[in-house]
Amino acid sequence: MAHNNDSRAGLRWMKLDNAAKIYPAARRRRWNNMFGLSATMSEPVDRDVLREALDTTVLRFPSIAARLRKGAFWYYLEELRRAPEIEDEGAYPLMYMPFERIRKCALKVLVYENRIAVEFYHALTDGNGGLVFLKSLIAEYVERRYGVIIPVSDGVLDRREAPRAEELCDSFLEVSGDVSKSRAEPNSYHIDGVREKDGFVNLTTFIIDSDLLRETARSYGVSVTTLLTAAIIRATCRIQDSHVARRHQKMVKVLVPVDLRRLFGSQTLRNFSLYLTPGIDPRVGEWSFDEVCHAVHHQMALGVTKKEMTMRLTKNVNSEKSLIVRVMPLFIKNFVMKSVYDAVGEKKSVMDLSNLGIIKIPSELEKYVDRFDFIIGALPNTHENCAVLSYKGKTYINFTRDIQKSKLELYFHEELRAIGIRAKVESNRR
Amino acid sequence: MYCIKCGVELADTEKTCPLCGTTVYHPDITQAHATPTYPPFVKEKENMRPQGVLFILTVLALMPIVITLFCDLRLNGAITWSGYAVGGILVAYFVIVLPLWFARPNPVIFVPIDFALIGALLLYINLMTGGDWFLSLAFPALGIMGLIITALVTLMRYVRKGLLYIFGGCFIAIGGYCLLLEFFINLTFYDSFSFIWSPYPFIFCFFAGLALIVIAISRPLRESLHRKLFI
Repeated sequence: MAHNNDSRAGLRWMKLDNAAKIYPAARRRRWNNMFGLSATMSEPVDRDVLREALDTTVLRFPSIAARLRKGAFWYYLEELRRAPEIEDEGAYPLMYMPFERIRKCALKVLVYENRIAVEFYHALTDGNGGLVFLKSLIAEYVERRYGVIIPVSDGVLDRREAPRAEELCDSFLEVSGDVSKSRAEPNSYHIDGVREKDGFVNLTTFIIDSDLLRETARSYGVSVTTLLTAAIIRATCRIQDSHVARRHQKMVKVLVPVDLRRLFGSQTLRNFSLYLTPGIDPRVGEWSFDEVCHAVHHQMALGVTKKEMTMRLTKNVNSEKSLIVRVMPLFIKNFVMKSVYDAVGEKKSVMDLSNLGIIKIPSELEKYVDRFDFIIGALPNTHENCAVLSYKGKTYINFTRDIQKSKLELYFHEELRAIGIRAKVESNRR
Repeated sequence: MYCIKCGVELADTEKTCPLCGTTVYHPDITQAHATPTYPPFVKEKENMRPQGVLFILTVLALMPIVITLFCDLRLNGAITWSGYAVGGILVAYFVIVLPLWFARPNPVIFVPIDFALIGALLLYINLMTGGDWFLSLAFPALGIMGLIITALVTLMRYVRKGLLYIFGGCFIAIGGYCLLLEFFINLTFYDSFSFIWSPYPFIFCFFAGLALIVIAISRPLRESLHRKLFI
């Protein structure tokens, strides 16, 4: 819920949404939960025009162009007085953003050659909310740079319009019910390795023909997300096989975020997604690709329903509503939430696989944008992560890794090749 | 281009295969030039937070101060020997910590302050031990040394060129300082005014300083030395 909606009365402030509450508490000395979205334009970016476009766009997104502030009992978001500075992109995405900086401005706008990248602190929004911001920013940029009119459709919002209440609300609170479901589930195997020096993050991008990927997924009777999840599970199993005897092996599960906006008809630009952790137990024997695909497919189908999701999110909302939790001072809350995060937060999955699906933008904008990318950073104990989107007939699968060896990506490629999918690879290798 | 080891198709930006690390190579195809996907890696300087360093140094200084004062008070019921230790630690603390309080500490200001602090400690020791060496020895010896060092850091900070002249002059001044030091020692502790040890460092410093000034004046000599002695 947003407060002080009349901007003359002061800057808007918003309570953190239900999913965002964990992020400030779970922070580390060299880690904050960030994700990035970028658009590669057809020509080098004009910074002055982007500056003007950003100044206009931030006014439309008070919940995203915001900073994190500290209350006595909770953190909250406050809209920015002015747009953040445009910075040069570094040698790797999602460079560490200190918490002190997040308290001044919780997003970064970066430029490199033709690329406009926006990196969001996860407490602001999720991938779909961030995508609306990026689309609106580049629409404003293209309008100013090339003098064309971009229609307000396909996730591009009117930058001159005032933000709507339904965009700023916490949909978790609105859709939660009375019945909750336990979060308990078995732990997953984790990939370990020697960390990169200087906090470097390796980015490996697989570029695949979207039609080929879709056709292959269809031949297995599953979605593209399920197909990619199965490939990651199989690749991870091979890594586990090389380290651990089969009878001592752990489950291999992948965390797949589920966008709840479509499920619940929400318009929010705040976080509104939950996750599922489909996976397999390798102790029972060798799993063929087909078997993994079907296991993941059915687990996803059971989980992605309105009722199931409502029960799961109600559990989280109930924790937030508890009177004991609410009256707890922030520093105690932080300690408790961090302990919970350390104990269970990352243990339930080997990595995340977040798929934003096919990116659609107005046709007038398409000729100015060559490519989109979605990147999610490594977590303190999850050294690899994967984010996917498709645009103009190509699927971009971005693996981020903060350890040195790239075994998972190699095995993932071998899994794809085994089912007839050819990929082109690029990276930011030093 | 394809990786010769793992067979993956590689973007033109790749110099080594991102999956298996093999160098990109084909005997017949020259790899097309492409802009790297990200700018080159530049190692960031890791700056220590001054507040953190201040905190650690303060704790490190406070611990021995508290322990020595506690022991002295328990054993003697008054501050006796612990005063010297505490004074020494406080002087060391301020010499190290004072510049950390400022974003751009100026040595021209801090060097005289450091000498003043050392002078104050010596005065305290003089008074506590009932000595009469402060005015005749410690004060002039420390004062002159303070002037020489302050002049040196001032010239080095504000005069960009002429380092050889500065160090040459400094050497001669230190040579002269040795003579003065022996004079003050004799004045304080002995009746004799004969110079026993100080002429030797004086002669060495004087000629070393003179040599530096000659090198500074003579450009051919400077170039010849540079040619012979470069590393």
